[in-house]
Order: sequence, then structure tokens, then C-alpha cells
Amino acid sequence: MKNKLFQVLFVMLVTASLLLAACAPAAPVTPAATPQTIVQTVEVTKEVVQTQVVQVTPTPGQDPEAMIAGVEPNAEITLWTFWLSPTFDAYIKDTIASFQKAYPGVTVKWEDHQATFQDDLKNAYAAGNAPDVINLSISEGWVGDYATQGLLLPLDDQVPAAVKSTYFPNLWDQQVVQGKHYQFPWYQGIQVDLVNRQLFDQTGLKVADFPKTIDGLPALCKTIKEKTKTLCDIRLAVNDLLAQMAYEGGVKTISADGKAFTFDSKEAVDWLQMYVNMVKDGTVDKTVLVTDQDRVGLDLFTSGKAAFYNTGPNLIREVRANNPGMYGYLAVVPAPIGKSGVVGKGLMALSVNSKTKFPKASVALAQYFSNARNMLAFAKLVSVYPSTPLSYDDPFFAAAPVAIEDSAKPYAKDSVSKLADILPTIPHKADVNNIVLQAVQSALFNNVDPQKALSDAVAQANKLLP
Amino acid sequence: MNKIRSFSLTPYLFLMPALIIIIVFLLYPIGAVVYYSFTDYSITTPPVWVGIENYQKLLNDPIFWKALQNSFVYLLVTPALIFISILMAIVVNRKLPGITLFRTLFFIPVISGSIAVGIAWRMMLDTNGIINSILMTIGMIKDPIQWLAEPAYTLGIAMLLTTWMGMGYYMMIFLAGLQNIPEELYEAAELDGCNAWQKHWVVSIPGLRPQITFVTVISSLAALQVFNEIYILTGGLGGILNSGVTVVFYLWRQAFRLNHAGMASAIAMVLLVITLLFSIINIRAMESGTEADA
Repeated sequence: MKNKLFQVLFVMLVTASLLLAACAPAAPVTPAATPQTIVQTVEVTKEVVQTQVVQVTPTPGQDPEAMIAGVEPNAEITLWTFWLSPTFDAYIKDTIASFQKAYPGVTVKWEDHQATFQDDLKNAYAAGNAPDVINLSISEGWVGDYATQGLLLPLDDQVPAAVKSTYFPNLWDQQVVQGKHYQFPWYQGIQVDLVNRQLFDQTGLKVADFPKTIDGLPALCKTIKEKTKTLCDIRLAVNDLLAQMAYEGGVKTISADGKAFTFDSKEAVDWLQMYVNMVKDGTVDKTVLVTDQDRVGLDLFTSGKAAFYNTGPNLIREVRANNPGMYGYLAVVPAPIGKSGVVGKGLMALSVNSKTKFPKASVALAQYFSNARNMLAFAKLVSVYPSTPLSYDDPFFAAAPVAIEDSAKPYAKDSVSKLADILPTIPHKADVNNIVLQAVQSALFNNVDPQKALSDAVAQANKLLP
Repeated sequence: MNKIRSFSLTPYLFLMPALIIIIVFLLYPIGAVVYYSFTDYSITTPPVWVGIENYQKLLNDPIFWKALQNSFVYLLVTPALIFISILMAIVVNRKLPGITLFRTLFFIPVISGSIAVGIAWRMMLDTNGIINSILMTIGMIKDPIQWLAEPAYTLGIAMLLTTWMGMGYYMMIFLAGLQNIPEELYEAAELDGCNAWQKHWVVSIPGLRPQITFVTVISSLAALQVFNEIYILTGGLGGILNSGVTVVFYLWRQAFRLNHAGMASAIAMVLLVITLLFSIINIRAMESGTEADA
């Protein structure tokens, strides 16, 4: 009897399924290359349903997110990310899976590289098996470095204008080499200062009094040393001091015609003198000041031995994981702005290998990861910020911050829209930066006059110019 | 009797696996490095022949000379290691209860890994680390010292770390040597009126001569090639004012920070010549020692 009942139910179920499948509408064919607005429904909780409007520009294909036409059939491409595994494995894998659905036939192999990313990538290029799509750091200047060596694919002719316009213009225009663009702006960070209120409150200052400009730091560090006996946890960008000079000191690093370096100007000397004074006053941790590893400074802050540290809100998770007791005493303030008036460069980009066998599929993948929807999804996981204005229309960004990690959300769009790479293309950039580093060190630690150190460095760097 | 031996492929086939490994992993890389040292090569772009330009640049590069000087100073690790390791070997070469535990404890730094140990040392030497804390508690210093930011200390701290990490390993070598020295020699020395230290001076040290020569060779070669300790302790900078830059660290910086693989290859060639000379001198010393013993 039971068996019979089961058989009847089973037949009914199968019949119903077949009927539903037969009655379902055919997959919609979207019109080609015409911008259109689609409505997506997202179930936020069981009770609340919210609607978001996403602007997309469909091109031929079944999926409205498949924006790149002519993708090579059966393409097999490799994606390298920088320090995202294992924390974001699920997000990356899900995004790859949905990309493969949007572009049927394309297969993506993903690898995450961490501390040895640059070495691995250079070796891979030398061996001729570099990845097709590469997650490069804008803030470290990698896109410009690789593009000048002809290792990245220019995107200008590969990407439709409708796609280019989905990004903040200043982010799309970063690290342009000889008029060509080489990167899709990916997730961005907002430079903030994390404040350890346990220490900071001992100074008698309020978090709201935190300096708004860089030149307020020396006085703050003096107060911190006097009141708390701790040193300031400030790090020079030892691999790109030219950029730091430009942002913080408002220094013009090279002449307009590119025939002479100019980083020994009064602005440059004033900038260096500020750090020389801090070292002389003994108010900064010298080890952190000249390390090339951000983690050294972050570790010092996380251990509770520094009053503040300049970083991105995305790294608050490190503090929470490694020193949960301190997490409750954290405050977040906007990072002080330098004389350039520009808050900083972008953070991460996705570029395509110039020698890829599948340029269309690779461009499609880089674009897909950096589209409005996928960046929004990433921003919901961790405190990173999309490079597409549209993503900020989501209620997620309008909601009041709850956790400290979300503190920058209310002003994120404005802040990201102002990120810009103000440094022009510098010939022999790594060598020139190394020359500047030696000069800065001699001024900081060897009592060489900042003007002399920088003028000598300019003379040395000028020899590298043609 | 046919004196002409017929050619046989079999021995060459047996040699082939080892030969292939030597060619692929030794001869080819050495040949490639020799070639690259005469080129402008950035790893990611094809090499361009520049003749001896890299060597000329090296001769005029003050940081390279500083690195060379630091590497030679680093060789002081060798006598320190030998002295401390022999002392430790003598101490643990006693039949005392629990001595195996001490031998194990002394050996732990060897198996800990230089990166992990380097990070631990960096934390201890931090401005707010345990070293400063102890020194301030006992009143030796008033304000904390930024040990790793003082150019005068960088190389010394790295050398201390290398010594601390290596002494357990070399102690085991000397311990094995001590256990091979016949007990009768110590008894004879005692009959001749030697005290405990004199016994070691006239019996143990001469008896350990082969081990001392071996340790001298391998520890001096390792000292010339030091990298990990410098990289970790200085946060990848090589020390303030290049105070901790050694030849191998400078090679790494040229290849992977400045993208000058050609220049890095020239540095590698110089290092190759230096280590070759060291090896020859050491092997000659070892041979003359053996002849003298015979």
C-alpha cells in the first residue's frame, strides 16, 4: 500500500516538473550594445525584500553581465590574486562559477599568491607561463611597472566605452602609460588611521582632534611620547618614496618635459625635514619607519604598543583576530591629507597579460570581477570599496555603520571618487626610488643635510635619464 | 687476446640520470648566470648583451663594497660557532642523568627554521620587547633601545642569531668526534698531571681536528651566503644605511627589487669566485692537516 502511494506521488511530481519546465519562458535575448536598466531582487532577510537598480550594458549573450563580445570559445585562462586566500575563497570561487555561466565554455583556473607574489610573477613571465589575468597593486605602482615593460595588454581597444564609463574616471585613468590604459580598477581602500583609544586617551586629546593634515603629525607624536612613553608607528613608503613625496609634500618629482628630476625643491626638503625632525626628537619607531613590510607596522599597532596606525579599514580584521581585547578600544579617523590635497592612489587593479592566448576571455574575466555587482558583493564581505559609482547606490552603503570596520562607509563614495594617481610616468622608477631611499636614509640617520641629500640624489638620478 | 675493448652503452645509461640532473640543475644554471652577468636582463624581458658593464658598475658601487665587507665580517661567526659548540659538546658529553634532554634542547634552534626564529628575535628586540624590558628593569638602560634600527647593531644581531641557530648542529658534530676519542688518552693525560681543562686542551682539541676543519668549511660557506636572518631582522630593508646588507642580500635586492637580474648575476659570479677560493683554501688546509697527522 505504502509503495503504491509513493509511486503515485512520484509520478505526480515528475509530471508537474515537466509541465512547469515546458511552460517556462525561453531565455531572453538581450539587445546588443544598448544601455538598459534591469531590476534585481535581493532577499536580504526572510521578512524584508529590498530592490536595487543596477545599470548594465548588455552585449550579445545570454547573461546581462557578459559585457565583452567575441570571447574565444573554450578559452582556458588563469587568474592570480594577491593575498585573498583562504579568507575569500568562497567569494572568488562563486564569482568564477558565475563568470563561467555568463561566458559558457570559458574555464578559469585560480591561484592566490602572497608574500612572494612579485617574485612568482616575474619568474612566471620569465618562464613564459604568466597568468592571463593578474591582480596588481596600484598603490605599489605595479601596473605602471609591468606596463612599461610591455607585459600588460592595453585595454583601450578591448573595452567598450560603455564599460569604461562604469568606473570612477580618475580610477580608470590611473597608471596610464604613453596614453594607454592597462587596468580595470578593482577593490579600493580608504586610507584611515586606526586609533588605540587606550593609549590615545592618555594624551588628553580627543580622537576628533586627530590631525587633518600631515604636518600635524610631528606635534602629535611628541605629545604621545611625552604622555604614553610610546613611539609613533609611522611607515615611509620605502619602495615608492617619490609617490609619498608627491602626495604628502606636494613635490613635483620630474620636469614637465621629463628631462630632469626636480625632487630637491623646497617642498621636497621641507617634507624630508619633517621626518628628520621626528627622528631627531625620537618620537617615531625607526624600525617601522623604514621597513618595506606593512605588516611590521600593523603588528606593532595590533600588539597595543602604538597609539595609531595608517592603514585600510579592511585590515581591522587582523586586529580583531590577533588582539580581540584591543578591538573594543579602536577608533577610526580619516587619514591626514598631504600638501597635494589628494587623499591617495587606488588600491587594487586587474590587468591582462600582453601575451595571453585568450585576450577577450581574459578581459572579460577582469571586467566581470570588477563590475558593479561583484564589487558590491565583495564590499559586503570586508571593508573594501567598489570602483564603480553604481555600487554605492545599494542600501548597504546608506545604512548606518554598526561595526568599527564600517566607519568609512558613509563617506566611502566621496573618498574613493577622489583617489587619483598624481605621479607621472617615471623612467627607471625602481632605480630612482632606490636612490631616493638612500638619500632619505642618509638624512634621517646619518646627519646629512636634507637639501644636500636630495640634490645629490637628483644629480645621481639625472644620469639615468637619456 | 683481444686488447681492444668493445664500446658498451650500458655504463653511460647508468650514468645518465645523474648526468641529466647535474646538467639541468647545475651546469646549465651556472652557464646561464655567466651569460646573464654580461647582459642587461630584468627577468621579465629578454637579456641584451652589454659586455663587462655590470662588472664595471659593481666596482664603482659603494653598496656592493659595503656588502662584501659585511659578508667578510660575518665570517667571524665561524670561530664563535666552533668555540661555543666545542664547549657545549664537552658539557653534554657527560654521563649525567637527564643529559639527553639538554642535548635535545640545544638542538631545537636548528630545527626551528630561520624565518620563525628571526621573527621571534625581532619581537624580543622590539622597542617594547623583552630585552629592553629586562634591561630597564635591572636599571642597565633608562630608555628603550631600538636595536634593529641602530646601524651599529644590525650585523652583530644577525651574527648572534646565526650563531645561536647553528651551535646545536655543530655541537652534535663535535659530540660525535669527542665520543670517538679513546678514554685511554685522557687517562694518560691525567697521569701526566693534567687538570680537567688541560686534558681537553691536549687531548680533545687535537682529537677534534677533522671536525673543526669540516665545521670551518661549511660554516664559513654558510656565513658568506647568509640571507634569511638579514631579511627577517631588517624587514626586507637590509638595515638602516645598508648596515646589514650582505652579498647575497644585495644580489636579491638587485634581482627582485630593482629588476637587475644581469647585475645580480654578476654579483653571483663574484660570490662564486670567493666561495671557490674559500673552498680551495679550506680543502688544502684539511689535506695538510691530514698529512701532518699521518
